[in-house]
Amino acid sequence: MSQDDVILEARDLVKDFAGFLAVNHASFKVRRNTIHALIGPNGAGKTTLFNLLTKFLPPTQGQIVFNGEDITALPPAEVARRGLVRSFQISAVFPHLSVLDNVRIALQRQRGGSFDFWRSRKVLEVYHDRAMQLLHDVGLTEYAAEQAVSLPYGRKRALELATTLALEPQLMLLDEPMAGMAHEDIQRIQELIRTVSKGRTVLMVEHNLNVVASLSDTITVLTRGKILVEGDYKTVSANADVQEAYMGVGHG
Amino acid sequence: MTEIFGVPTQALFGQLLLGLINGSFYALLSLGLAVIFGMLNIINFTHGAQYMMGAFGAYLVGQYLGIGYWASLIVAPVLVGVTGVIVERTMLKRLYHLDHLYGLLFTFGMALIIQGYFRYYYGSSGLPYPIPPELQGGIRLPFMFLPWYRGWVIFLSLAICLITWFLIERTSLGAKLRAATENPMIVRTFGVNVPMLITLTYGAGVALAALAGVLAAPIYQVSPLMGADLINVVFAVVVIGGMGSIMGSVVTGFSLGLIEGLTKVFYPEASTTVVFVIMAIVLLVRPAGLFGKAATTTAGVESTSVGSGLDGGKVLNVAMAVMFVLLAIAPFFVYPQFLMKALCIAIFALSVNLLLGYAGLLSFGHAMFLGSAGYVAAHAAKVWGLTPELAILAGTATAAAMGLVVGAIAIRRQGIYFAMTTLAFAQMIYFLALQVPFTHGEDGIQAVPRGHLFGLIDLTNQLNMYYLVLLIFIFALLLVHRIIHSPFGEVLKSIRENEARAISLGYKTDRYKLMAFVLSTTICGLGGATKAIVFQLASLTDVTSGTSGEAVLMTLVGGLGTLLGPIVGAFVITGMETYLAEWGQWVTVIQGVVFVICVMAFRRGLVGEIAFRTGKPL
Repeated sequence: MSQDDVILEARDLVKDFAGFLAVNHASFKVRRNTIHALIGPNGAGKTTLFNLLTKFLPPTQGQIVFNGEDITALPPAEVARRGLVRSFQISAVFPHLSVLDNVRIALQRQRGGSFDFWRSRKVLEVYHDRAMQLLHDVGLTEYAAEQAVSLPYGRKRALELATTLALEPQLMLLDEPMAGMAHEDIQRIQELIRTVSKGRTVLMVEHNLNVVASLSDTITVLTRGKILVEGDYKTVSANADVQEAYMGVGHG
Repeated sequence: MTEIFGVPTQALFGQLLLGLINGSFYALLSLGLAVIFGMLNIINFTHGAQYMMGAFGAYLVGQYLGIGYWASLIVAPVLVGVTGVIVERTMLKRLYHLDHLYGLLFTFGMALIIQGYFRYYYGSSGLPYPIPPELQGGIRLPFMFLPWYRGWVIFLSLAICLITWFLIERTSLGAKLRAATENPMIVRTFGVNVPMLITLTYGAGVALAALAGVLAAPIYQVSPLMGADLINVVFAVVVIGGMGSIMGSVVTGFSLGLIEGLTKVFYPEASTTVVFVIMAIVLLVRPAGLFGKAATTTAGVESTSVGSGLDGGKVLNVAMAVMFVLLAIAPFFVYPQFLMKALCIAIFALSVNLLLGYAGLLSFGHAMFLGSAGYVAAHAAKVWGLTPELAILAGTATAAAMGLVVGAIAIRRQGIYFAMTTLAFAQMIYFLALQVPFTHGEDGIQAVPRGHLFGLIDLTNQLNMYYLVLLIFIFALLLVHRIIHSPFGEVLKSIRENEARAISLGYKTDRYKLMAFVLSTTICGLGGATKAIVFQLASLTDVTSGTSGEAVLMTLVGGLGTLLGPIVGAFVITGMETYLAEWGQWVTVIQGVVFVICVMAFRRGLVGEIAFRTGKPL
């Protein structure tokens, strides 16, 4: 693939937790405008890898290249500003802000730094329509005025997605978007991810293999911090090592 | 006489010995704090009071039961430990599911109650406690004279530290403790009685503090405030060492004692502040402390931010207007001196609430900004002869500059560590204020001229003064109102709610927190500077940790994260102090009780409760 096709590249990433290699010389590329899934058994290092890519953890060794730029040394907020935005495994909302305000905080980022404490927040009203549009996209219009904490779990995840989308990220990193979700929620969020992935790239960690199979263009399998195999669902599921390492532990 | 680096060896080793003694107490106390913190995740602010209770315990059982020193070493810690167990069982355990800051506030309130009570009965002068006859005298070593008792203190402290370390790190009981720290639920399923374990741990930590108190009784005098001063240094020790390890707190405690001793020999002026300077350096280089692990805690104070959206706030505007009118006519009905005091203190409480209620940052050292601004304003008005408005500006600017420096260092730590760091810095400023000449130590800067505003309006006229204070107060309130309703305020609230998420949205949260900190200290300085001009006095009281605690109490009483709460709180608490003044030490006790009640049962506060019930932001 040409270099322009690659939005994110991890080169020989290592994370050493006091002798335990949570991520062990992992290298992989994410192609632009695809949905890329990262799978693997519990403890394979998926979340650690996510934390490395978004700079929430510093890598012990290796390089992270985003849009051709080495971002290894950047702080997490800078990484987010460049268009690489993540979600968290546990729902990451601002619990005591209204649903609308949750999204607006993200939209407000377009202003750059919001250090203007002398101005009224009425200047933020310009984001109102866009925020309502995003809430509409994830089906939360009727909840706009409620506190985020009062939403049921699935809706919180939807809100989180809307907040992430508000940043217009080029690359979205979703950490287990389906974790803890009821069946009907899974359907909805799955469709949502498919819709929002138009024109952008999604890298997600996910345990639900049905979701992975139906959404992903590329799948990378991680075990014990190492990359086992990479390819589309067919290639990966046919791989004997994967069947042993992954399916063997009962996540089929 | 032999000399080392130009210092007589006698003096050098004498100070090193004193340093080791202090280090023993630092180590024992920070060890107890670490044990309690490890299990309960609570910074035990009662620790200093419990240390004092240990010393008093030894004194009292000697006085009334004829129990001597040796038996007291067991009896006093057990008795004090039992009081700890009772407090934990009846009250503290109800706070575990809340943010850790509430545990801190609760234990702070308990400390006020205990210290106030002892001061009421025993005054603040010390009571003597004799060195046991077996340990009187000493031995002349080639390089120094070693009193037996001091040697004993160092020996016993070291032994206790090592035994505690061994119990926790090397025994099965310790293994259970450590496991329960990691995951209490799982350990419970193993059949371990975790709540009992927690209670016993708290009791043991408290007993350690009391033991230190018994050891200290023959060296220092037994006095109600013996723990209050010590514990602030111990907090700095804890920040330096980090809460990560038992051994860490022991090593840090002893080393800092030694360093203090050495400083007394080579540069005595810095001996009271050296620990805090080291703390600042350590925080810059290793924010997690020397032995600590970098941990991120999420703030989760129950802030009453009801209502949402861009509209709203009509009720608040009406409430503010009514308040302004009432305050404008108030001096014709209420003693203006009291009103002015309450208004200045209200500005102070507003600044604390701006941080705690809207950014989730508990500053336990805001008195340093209040007091320093007061000193500078008083000095500017009295010595430089500046007009009052310039003097107030000078004081305010000082607080802003200090806020920038202290904030830049303190925001490197989160949650309770942030609180402890600010407390320790405040203690440093307190010691500085005691020492530097321009603050005039215990006397303070007195007879500060009120002068003429802009050289025109005579402020010795009580009403002129009052309306200036009212204007400054209104300005501060409107400024805070604007800050929390600004784009900046929105980001601040998001950081309070979920800092990691705010970072992942691209906000450099440290800069926002620093900005909030500086804004808060500036407003705080405005209150302090104005207060100094009004009362024509800048005194040590305004830089004590008690004053910092009061501001937090006011915020809590009025309602965290409400705009008007701190003002109501300031009037309630200042009113209590003014009108209950003849009750002396009982005021402290009552304050402590109010603290405890608020934390246990009334966390929304007065205004917060109204806001919650009506659903209107106030």
